[in-house]
Amino acid sequence: MTVRRPHRATLADIRRHRTDYLWIAPALLVMILVIGYPFVYTIDLSFYDTPPSSPNWYFNGVDNYIQILSDKSFWAITLNTVYWAVGSTVFAFLIGLGAALVVQRDFIGRGLLRGLLLIPYVISYVAAALIWRWLYHSDYGLISGTLYDLYLIDSNINFLDSTSLVMPSLIVANVWKEFPFAMIMMLAGLQTVPQQLLNAARVDGAGAWQRFWHVTVPYLRGVILITTILLFVGNLNSFVLVWIMTGGGPANASQIWITQVYTLAFQSLQYGRASAYSVILFIVMLGLGFFYVRALTGGRAREAR
Amino acid sequence: MTTLATTVATTRPARRRRVLPRITPLDILSIVWVIVLLIFAVVPMLWMLSTSLKGQFAALQQPPEWIPSHPTLQNYITLLSPTGDVGPVFLRYFLNSLIVSLATTALGVLVAIPAAYAFSRFRFPGRDILFFAVLVRNMFPVVVFLIPLFILMRTLHLVNTYWSLILTYMTFGLPLSIWLLKGFYDNIPEELERAARIDGASRFKAFWLIIMPLSSPGIIATAIYAFIGAWNEYVYALTFLNSESLLTLPVGLQHFFTEFATNWPGLMAAAFIMSVPVVVLFLLLQRHFVRALTEGAIKA
Repeated sequence: MTVRRPHRATLADIRRHRTDYLWIAPALLVMILVIGYPFVYTIDLSFYDTPPSSPNWYFNGVDNYIQILSDKSFWAITLNTVYWAVGSTVFAFLIGLGAALVVQRDFIGRGLLRGLLLIPYVISYVAAALIWRWLYHSDYGLISGTLYDLYLIDSNINFLDSTSLVMPSLIVANVWKEFPFAMIMMLAGLQTVPQQLLNAARVDGAGAWQRFWHVTVPYLRGVILITTILLFVGNLNSFVLVWIMTGGGPANASQIWITQVYTLAFQSLQYGRASAYSVILFIVMLGLGFFYVRALTGGRAREAR
Repeated sequence: MTTLATTVATTRPARRRRVLPRITPLDILSIVWVIVLLIFAVVPMLWMLSTSLKGQFAALQQPPEWIPSHPTLQNYITLLSPTGDVGPVFLRYFLNSLIVSLATTALGVLVAIPAAYAFSRFRFPGRDILFFAVLVRNMFPVVVFLIPLFILMRTLHLVNTYWSLILTYMTFGLPLSIWLLKGFYDNIPEELERAARIDGASRFKAFWLIIMPLSSPGIIATAIYAFIGAWNEYVYALTFLNSESLLTLPVGLQHFFTEFATNWPGLMAAAFIMSVPVVVLFLLLQRHFVRALTEGAIKA
């Protein structure tokens, strides 16, 4: 409503509120400098061919975009990206929800359990990537070694060097890192479910599953939406884990959009092309962002009611 | 009234039943699930710890030794002793990380507080649009900004300084900080300031004397977030810094990795040391931390 105020009031309004802007000025200033400027610059750059592939910057319109979209590898990378983002999001969410459901119950050592489960979330992606590289190590790794000990496999598995195993392996590591986030969010959501309603359902003879599905889940719809969107966007942007664990290899089997942008920019030094790639990525995120903000504001409208 | 009575009547036998330890299939399922969950979450970290206490040779043993038979602190001593080859370098990385993270946190909180307060309280034109813009920042892939920011930092002569990182981390952390703090301010009743204003306090004074003390849990939570974000960041540190003496831990660790490719125990010890500050900080202030993250979710 406030956005659609008539225009004539605006200037007077601004003048009347001018001291208000002082409060946000520092934040606004650095954000324009560090976020606004690079954003515009990236869009601009995406329409240029840049050195080394051409001697000077020259405007080549949408050539960069056409080349990216017509490149066969783009679609393979897109498929990897979807696999990565959807797989990570679904499993992180389900495990996080499952964890929230048990941690929510009252028992001795609940605080300790919650603390332990949350630790992967706070440590750095670099540390996580190194730990999992070591776990997956083909010759001396814990996972391969243990499976061998249990006679489940008869030769060591090379998780990160196999084109078919690399993505699932990366997703497992990623889920390990981010399921606690889903857990906290769902834990918060579960606290909003009215206990009386659950009790009433119990009285009416609803089993645990029915109570969960017909009472808890409808209550959590907003939180579920926000959590999954945040996870999904986070996964699209998640660079470090993949980069340190595989660098997009073997043979591009774990190359995703974000690692491809980095490779284009800092290994092939094709800034123009990398920028165009970034813009495509941004448009996809903007679409998701639209849903995200709608979910957020939809929630606020419900609260106001 | 009647519903209340029936609820009470029916829950009473249920409660009496709970006195007898009756284990339902659901309980068994829960216990199994908790064990699986714990293994998944904790084993990687225990394995890091266990490896870090081994010598190089023991770490490469197959089948893997779960608990080192000859535990040694040598890896930690090597990393943390101020003399020797590795120690001073590693301690330098640690110090760099600390400087950058603390400066980021302090500046970030300082900038976020007034902005969050303004978004929470004032109704200036463009407020909704600006707040929306702040939130949309979360949608940007950070890697995308590497090139233009690098060029920007070069023009500002900030490449290869702490400031390039502090400025970047602070700004990237702002949207979340502002959002979290706004949530806290929204929960403080406006009447408190109004009363102060009536008593003749200026807007700033009312904010400073009434709101600041009340919002300290929010500020602590926001500060932890900013600190952890800065402490763990890797990509920008990798791009903006190239002098060895300025590197932060995540990048330093990566160097360490390429230099000592086979020294897994040393690497795990380094990863452990790097994780200690954030994990300790987090465990100490878990409540604030969790509350801050859920603030938005609960309201939605």
